[in-house]
Amino acid sequence: MFKKPLVAAAVVFCGSVAAGEAPIMGTVQSKCVIVTDTIGVYGNPSPSILSTTAADGGVQPIIRYDVINADYYKAVITYPNEFSSSPALNDVVNWTGDVTVAEVSDAGMAAYDQNKIEYNNVTEVDLTVAGTVWFTVSSTADYGYNKSFPAGTYNTVVTAECVAL
Amino acid sequence: MENVLPAQSGLTVNSVFYRYTTVKNPLDDMIVHVQNEDALGSGYIFRSSDDWSGLPGNTINKLIGVESIPRERWGNGSIEVEGFGTVENSSVIYSYRYDTCFQNTVDPACPGYIPPPLPTVDAFSDEELIQKAMEPENNWNPNKEDEERRAFVNAQKRKLEKALGGINSALMTAQAETAAALFFAMNPVPVSYTASLPGGVYEETIQYSSEQLQDNSKGRRAVFASQLLHEEMVQLQYRGAESTGEK
Repeated sequence: MFKKPLVAAAVVFCGSVAAGEAPIMGTVQSKCVIVTDTIGVYGNPSPSILSTTAADGGVQPIIRYDVINADYYKAVITYPNEFSSSPALNDVVNWTGDVTVAEVSDAGMAAYDQNKIEYNNVTEVDLTVAGTVWFTVSSTADYGYNKSFPAGTYNTVVTAECVAL
Repeated sequence: MENVLPAQSGLTVNSVFYRYTTVKNPLDDMIVHVQNEDALGSGYIFRSSDDWSGLPGNTINKLIGVESIPRERWGNGSIEVEGFGTVENSSVIYSYRYDTCFQNTVDPACPGYIPPPLPTVDAFSDEELIQKAMEPENNWNPNKEDEERRAFVNAQKRKLEKALGGINSALMTAQAETAAALFFAMNPVPVSYTASLPGGVYEETIQYSSEQLQDNSKGRRAVFASQLLHEEMVQLQYRGAESTGEK
């Protein structure tokens, strides 16, 4: 008879356990960094053509990818197929372009050019080697059928993304 | 590497950056070694290899950190190609650093500076110094003194000529410019010779308001009167002709 109340008291004491929460924080830094090393410039070799080719007086944009971990990302680069800003155009613009591996920080990256996947105006490259790779983008706009571009300023945008695999 | 890295005590190389372009058939095997011999031992103090086998040629930029290797150990550098292919447009850049206070006997501003010991010369034990001191080269010579005085006067004259001719300072040598500065510091030339007069632009201050000028009625009358007189004089000749019957 005497022990029961003691047991009951012990049960009650164990039931009132204090609870708490310990937060855990974490910050994820990007392991893939994209930097525009060189801004592109269109040359105007003939009235109907805008081109980034050096022979046409243009400058090809250079995009740098710094990848810290291999096999986690792919580079998706889109060359322009429209002007982001331009004078009013009343004819069709024919767009061509290309994305090539210009320089690498590791010899293994030289295979990127062979293994890249191209569709429409998009180029995808699996970044299978850690390090830095430089891509050059060429872009050419041909207006109408030998039609002169109206005078003014023309702007386009190359989109470069680092997509996690 | 004697002509690549500066001869600075305590210099260490902490990274090597190299760049080159390979020209090759993608199917060929090719390994490129960028290397530096160990100047104090055998083998290489730095060697980085890039395997281009089965890959197309491209340009490589590579930065490799090394653990502060002293300058003395960096021997001859080379780029060696193993396999098939060539390397073009190559460059290797060494990043280095050095402690300016590495030798504590050079810069008094460095902590723990130890001044270099002064050279001790025992004049009495040096026969050459004793002989020099005994040579009669300091004997008084009146002719020599006159020559020196004339040389001094001539030198002063030349300085003066240079200074006066140095007003056009653009044509002066640095030496003459210094002499001119010293000369002008003595203020022998009036300030107006060299001082620039304050200039400026005198702007137009008078302004005429645009108003419509009225016709001069008195003038008009005078002109009308003279016109009448002129016409009367012209008509006189015809009157004379009519009276004489001439046509």
